[in-house]
Amino acid sequence: MDLDALASCLASPACLVTQTTSGLIIGMLLFLVAVGLTLIFGVLKVVNFSHGAFYMFGAYFAMTAYQLTGSFALAILAGAAGTAILGLIFERVFMSRVYGRDVLMQLLVCYAFVLIFDDVVRMIWGPEFKSMGMPAAFQVPPLFIAGGVVPPYYLLLIGVALAAAVVLGLGLARSRIGKVIRAAAQNPGMVSALGINTGLIYGGVFALGGMLAGLAGALAAPVRSLTPGMGFSVLIESFIVTVIGGMGSILGALIGALLIGLIRSFGSLGFPLFTEGLMYLFMVIVLVSRPTGLFGKEVA
Amino acid sequence: MTELQAGQGAQTLAPPRIDARPQRYRDVLIALVAFVVLALLPMMFGSKQLLDFVIRCAAYGLFATSLNLLVGYTGLISFGHGMFFGLGAYGFGLMMQKTGVPIPVAFVATLAITCVVAVVIGAICVRLKEIYFAFVTLAFQMLIHSTILSWQSLTGGDQGLRGGIPRPPFLGIDLSNHLHLYITSCALLVIGLLLMRQIAQSPFGYTLRMIRDNATRASFIGIDVWRAKLTIFVLAALFAATGGMIMALFVSGAYPEFAYWTISGEGIFINMLGGVTTFLGPMVGTVLLLILNDTVTRLTEYHGIVLGIVILFFAIGLRKGLMDFVVEWFAQRRGEGRG
Amino acid sequence: MLEIRALSKSFGGVKATDNVSLDFADGSLTAVIGPNGAGKSTFFNLITGALRPDAGQILLNGVDMAGKTPPEIVRHGIGRAFQVASIFPSLTVEETMLAAVGADQRRAGVMRRRFPLAETRDRAEHAMELLGLAGKRNRTAATLSHGDQKLLDIALALVLEPKVLLLDEPTAGMGTEERWRMIDKVRELWEKQKITVVFIEHDMDIVFKIAPEIVVLCYGRILATGTPEAIRRNDAVIEAYLGSDDHAGAVA
Repeated sequence: MDLDALASCLASPACLVTQTTSGLIIGMLLFLVAVGLTLIFGVLKVVNFSHGAFYMFGAYFAMTAYQLTGSFALAILAGAAGTAILGLIFERVFMSRVYGRDVLMQLLVCYAFVLIFDDVVRMIWGPEFKSMGMPAAFQVPPLFIAGGVVPPYYLLLIGVALAAAVVLGLGLARSRIGKVIRAAAQNPGMVSALGINTGLIYGGVFALGGMLAGLAGALAAPVRSLTPGMGFSVLIESFIVTVIGGMGSILGALIGALLIGLIRSFGSLGFPLFTEGLMYLFMVIVLVSRPTGLFGKEVA
Repeated sequence: MTELQAGQGAQTLAPPRIDARPQRYRDVLIALVAFVVLALLPMMFGSKQLLDFVIRCAAYGLFATSLNLLVGYTGLISFGHGMFFGLGAYGFGLMMQKTGVPIPVAFVATLAITCVVAVVIGAICVRLKEIYFAFVTLAFQMLIHSTILSWQSLTGGDQGLRGGIPRPPFLGIDLSNHLHLYITSCALLVIGLLLMRQIAQSPFGYTLRMIRDNATRASFIGIDVWRAKLTIFVLAALFAATGGMIMALFVSGAYPEFAYWTISGEGIFINMLGGVTTFLGPMVGTVLLLILNDTVTRLTEYHGIVLGIVILFFAIGLRKGLMDFVVEWFAQRRGEGRG
Repeated sequence: MLEIRALSKSFGGVKATDNVSLDFADGSLTAVIGPNGAGKSTFFNLITGALRPDAGQILLNGVDMAGKTPPEIVRHGIGRAFQVASIFPSLTVEETMLAAVGADQRRAGVMRRRFPLAETRDRAEHAMELLGLAGKRNRTAATLSHGDQKLLDIALALVLEPKVLLLDEPTAGMGTEERWRMIDKVRELWEKQKITVVFIEHDMDIVFKIAPEIVVLCYGRILATGTPEAIRRNDAVIEAYLGSDDHAGAVA
C-alpha cells in the first residue's frame, strides 16, 4: 500500500491530469467492450463469454492491416469490420443453436470458443507478445495540460469511443432499427409475430457487439501489447462493468466503465499490488447494496 | 401430452429408488470394494505413471464431483469453484511450509479457512440470479488468483510455492513415500465421494433438487432457499479444497494455475463430459478429461482447439454427458426387454 | 383463527387490496369470488408473503404474519397451492412428498440422515392417499396429467399439515367434469382434515353449491360476505356481476 503516493498525486494537478486521462482511456476501451456485452445480453439474453476474443481479434486484425497497408484508418476499419463478420458467423452458426437451452450449454459453447480462438491466434500470429507501434501521424510531442502529459493519440481514442457511445445511444433511441432492437429485447415473440426476422436482428446485434469490441481492440493496438489470451482479462473487467452499471443498460455501461477506469488508474498509485482487488471490491460493494447494478432494472 | 406418452416417459426416466436404508449399506460396500481394488492396483501394476494418474483423478474427481453438487443438484452454475481448489492447495502448502504443524492439523485448518472464505463469498453470491452468480463467482476466482500473483512475499507470485512442501510422517503414514501418498489419496477420494453421496441422497439433497426445479415453490413449503444454497456452496467448497490439498501433496507445491479460472472451466466441462444426472458422472468425466488432456498435449501444442471442438461436440451435438447417455440407453434397453 | 385487519396494497397508485378486513373461523370453508382484476390473487399473495402489505395485519391465532417471508409464514401454518400447478418437474410424486416432509422435519430439529423415517413415510403416504396420488407415486411430476399436477400441488401444501390452506383456483384450466371431481376432492379434504380452507373460484355453480361462506371482492375491496343465499340476494353483488356481464347468468 502506498497511500502517500496517492495523496501527493491528488494534490498535484499534473499528476491528476495524467492519471485521469489514463483512467479515461482504460474506461473508454472497457466501455466499447462492455456495451456490446450488455447489448447482446439485453436482446439475446445470453452472456457472450467469448466476447473478449473479439477484442483480441480486433487488435490483431488492425495490426496486420496496418503492417500491410500502412494506413491507420484502414487498420481501425479492418479491426471493426473483421470482428463484425466474425460475430455474425459465430452467432448464426453456433450460438443460435443454444438459445432457449440452459445457461450451462451457452457458457460451454462460449468456453469452447475461448479455447479455440486463443489457439487460433497463437497459430496465426504466434504465442509471443506483439506490438503494433504508434502510427506515424501520432508520433508527435505530447500535449501538456496543467503540467500533465497527454499523448494526442489518447485524445483520439477517447473521442472515437465517445462518438461511438453517442451514435449508439441515439441510434437505439431514435432510429427504426433501434426501436426494433429495443422491442426485441423486451419481447422477442412480439417482434417475430410482427413479421420481423428475429434471426436477422440477433445476428445483427451480435455483429454490432463484435464490431464494438473489435473497434476497442483496434484502438488499443497501438498502446497495448498483443498476446493470445489478452481478451480474457478484458472480458472479466467488462463483465464487472456491466454488473456495476446494470445488465442491459448502455448508460450504466458507460458510467461503470469510467468508474473502473479511474479506480484502476488511481488505484495503481495507492495500492500497486491490489489494483485488481480494488475493482472486485467495488463490484462487491455495488452488488451488495444494489443487486441489479447502478442503472439496472429487475430482469424477468 | 397424452397418457400413453406420459407413461413411456415415466419408464425411461427410471426414478431413483428412495428406499435408502439398504442403499446406504450398498454405497458403503461399493466404496469399500473400490478402495480395495485401488489399493491392490500397485501390486498388480508397478507403473508409477498409473499411480500418478489415479492421484490426479482423486484430486480433480473430488473437485468435479463437488462442483456437480452445485451445478447438477442445485442448479447453481459456479464459474469460480476452482478458487477453493486453489485455496486448498495454497492454504495447505503454506501451512506446512510456514508452521510445520502435523499434516492432519494442516488439513483441518485448511478446511476451516476454506469454510470461512466460502461463507463470506457464498453469502454475497447465492442471492444472485444464475448468470450473475456464474460471473460473480468467476470474478471472485480472479480476485483470489490476482491476490496470489501479487502477494509475492507470501505466495511466490507467478512462480508458485516452491521449495517443496514438507511432508513429515504421522501415525506411521509417510506422504513423501509415493505409495503412501497414493493410498492416502485413494482413501480421501473414496471417503469424500461417500460423504457427498450421503449429502445427495439425504433429505437435504432432495431440498437442493427442489430448489433447482422450482425455487419459488420450495420457499412456499418452508424451505429457506438462501440458507440451503449457502450450505451446499460451503460444503462443496470443502470437498474442492480437499482436492486441492491432494494436488498440493502430489506436486509438492502450489501454482497460480490451480487458482486460475480455467480450473473452474474444466470442472464445468468435466461435469458436462461425464453427465450431471448421475452421481458418478463427474468422476467418469474426470478420467476422460485427464486421458484426453494427456493424449492431446502429447500430440499437439494447440490442445485448446482440440478440447474446444470436443466441448462443442458434447454441447451442441450430443446435448448431454456420457453417463446421461449410458443411463438412458440402459433404460431404453430395459424398456424394450419388457415390451 | 385467521384474522385479516385493514390489509392494503397498491401498485403505482392502483389499490389492488384496499383496506380489507375479514375473519376466517377455524375449520371454515370459504370461497373468494370476484370479477377479473378484483384482487383475489393479490389477496392470497399478501397472506402468504409473496407480496409485502403496505399496511394492515394478518393474524394467525393472534400472531401477525405481515412482513414475514414465505418460508416463515408456511412454518406458522399457512399453506398454499397455485393457480398454475407449481411442482418439481424432475422429482417423482413420492420423492416430492418425502422431500417436502423431510425439509419440514429438518427445520423442526429432527436431523436424520436418510429416508425413510417411519414418520416421514406415514405423512407422505397420508397426503398421497388423500389426493389419490398413491398409485402414481413413481411417476415424475413432469409426466403427470394437468389435473394430477394440480393435485400434487395441493398435496405439497397439505403434507406440511397447515392450519390454513389457500387454494388459488384449484379448478383452473379443467373441463366441467374434471372441475367437479377436483372440487369434491377439496371438500373431502376439508371435511377429513378439519382445517381452514380458502379457495378462489370462477365457476359460480361450484361456489354456490359447495362453499358455506363466500367473500366477494371487487376492485380490491370487500363487496359482500355471507352464506350463498345472502350473496345471491345481495344487491351490490348482482350489480357488480351484471355490470361485468360474464358471470351474470350464474348469479341470477
